[in-house]
Amino acid sequence: MSFGKPTVSCSDRQDFFYDPMRTAGDFSLEEKVIMDEKAMMRALTRLAHEVIERNEGVASVVLVGIKTRGIYLAERLAKRITEIEDSQVQVGELDITLYRDDLKKKSREPRIIGSEIPVPIEGKTVILVDDVLYTGRTARAAMDALMDIGRPQRIQLAVLIDRGHRELPIRPDYIGKNVPTSREEIIAVQLKEVDKADRVVIRTKS
Amino acid sequence: MKKLLVLENGEFFTGEGFGSNKETNGEVVFNTGMTGYQEVLTDPSYYGQIVTLTYPLIGNYGINRSDNESSRPEISGLIVKEVSKSPSHWQKDKTLSEWLAEYDVPAIEGIDTRRLTKIIREYGTLRGRIVQGDADPAQVAAKLRKWSLPVDQISHVSTQSVYVTPGGGPRIVLVDFGAKQGILRECIKRGCDVVIVPYRTSAADIMKLHPDGVLLSNGPGDPKSVPDAVQMVREILGKVPLLGICLGHQLFALAAGANTVKMRFGHRGVNHPVKELDTGKFMITSQNHGYTVEKESLEGTDLEVTHLAINDGTIEGLRHKRYPAFSVQFHPEASPGPDDSQPLFDRFLAMVNQEKKEGVRLA
Repeated sequence: MSFGKPTVSCSDRQDFFYDPMRTAGDFSLEEKVIMDEKAMMRALTRLAHEVIERNEGVASVVLVGIKTRGIYLAERLAKRITEIEDSQVQVGELDITLYRDDLKKKSREPRIIGSEIPVPIEGKTVILVDDVLYTGRTARAAMDALMDIGRPQRIQLAVLIDRGHRELPIRPDYIGKNVPTSREEIIAVQLKEVDKADRVVIRTKS
Repeated sequence: MKKLLVLENGEFFTGEGFGSNKETNGEVVFNTGMTGYQEVLTDPSYYGQIVTLTYPLIGNYGINRSDNESSRPEISGLIVKEVSKSPSHWQKDKTLSEWLAEYDVPAIEGIDTRRLTKIIREYGTLRGRIVQGDADPAQVAAKLRKWSLPVDQISHVSTQSVYVTPGGGPRIVLVDFGAKQGILRECIKRGCDVVIVPYRTSAADIMKLHPDGVLLSNGPGDPKSVPDAVQMVREILGKVPLLGICLGHQLFALAAGANTVKMRFGHRGVNHPVKELDTGKFMITSQNHGYTVEKESLEGTDLEVTHLAINDGTIEGLRHKRYPAFSVQFHPEASPGPDDSQPLFDRFLAMVNQEKKEGVRLA
């Protein structure tokens, strides 16, 4: 039995519910820079020192960046550590995407779609690096992925921005900057590697 | 694998072990909640205790990723009538047994929890031990009587270092005596800028953080085991709005000059009726406490009773007559249990905002 072509196909649905006002609203977001290039550099230098101090060197440390910007931050952090400590730090990456695959789920769940970690992490101190820490779901998914890959001695978490609103018992070990936000605000970390500029902005609907 | 649960009075129960295979000591307590075992087992207030869950079938929905109140099970042992072998739930991550084994927590099933609960109600909470099936109960009981309950539980469950979850609202300093995640969750939900500090933090260090309000968390054990914390509360009392929950309530009472005593078997469950004296309204609350504020000791202090337990008339809530400070013995954050009393967080924040507006710090 066939009902013929539905008038609104799934891929058209978005257009069907297209709301020009909402899209227009996006352009009127108020943008404020909360961290410029210099501040970001200083924050990363401080994080590098903290990582070295907390772990008494970097002999057993592996940095693992999450998604696009976490990877670049991890690379920069590794570079900074090398400059200070004169020893190499390995950098790996985790690719995590937010899925909304189940209608019952209210929030989007992070899923691991790939990983590239150049060294075995057994017995190592793995430091996850991400740009923004929000609900903690991505960080938890990343920790799960690490436990699947191997048994690190411990996992630490380094973030450039902690914007609060944690939904899970996760707390960062190294924080670039604490930024109190409301849920309506958007935090965007921009890095030269992908965004042409080094800065962190907070966008508020005006 | 056969296992024994031995009590200090010489009584013993035979059951089947699950979870970890190691032996364990602890104060045997019971919780009457029909559901919410994951929240109970991860509640740091149960640290070091062997928890009996009186509901006859436990583990039927497994362990999921979102119900934890801390990052691991905090109990030292678990006693159930029957553990579910085939749990089912769409959020299930693993079975109760797998989860306990992973964190090396021993458990025993096949126990007549009804009889055990009756014993505890009669004798009060007892020291107990879960041992291998071939042990001699009389010997184990003799050893148990010589073993004294630990007094340093708080140092095991409190945070080691200060941490922050930033927010746009008022700054709340949460003193962590073994705080349930739920307390933090309620603060975060209301947009608070929360600074979580270890239980040893001094009053001066707390005031340096410029708090708009201070929240004293729940925690395990005897409030008198942390005299420094009582001194800290005494010093900040009146300088900043204060909310105490559970252990925090007892510390607040001690700081204001009242006394606390150990209860025979405490209140542990999710259906404890409490009367709010201001309104005459009742609420069903989630509770977990083995100590209580002594009623007679309130005389001559600045404290007044705001909430009473209906079952046994014990104090469940206090308010300071002169300062912006109140406390409750039950858990307004629920988890597990009904959220009847969640508005207490709003009341605390209203008090915080009122104080902020007035800009007056009573010395």
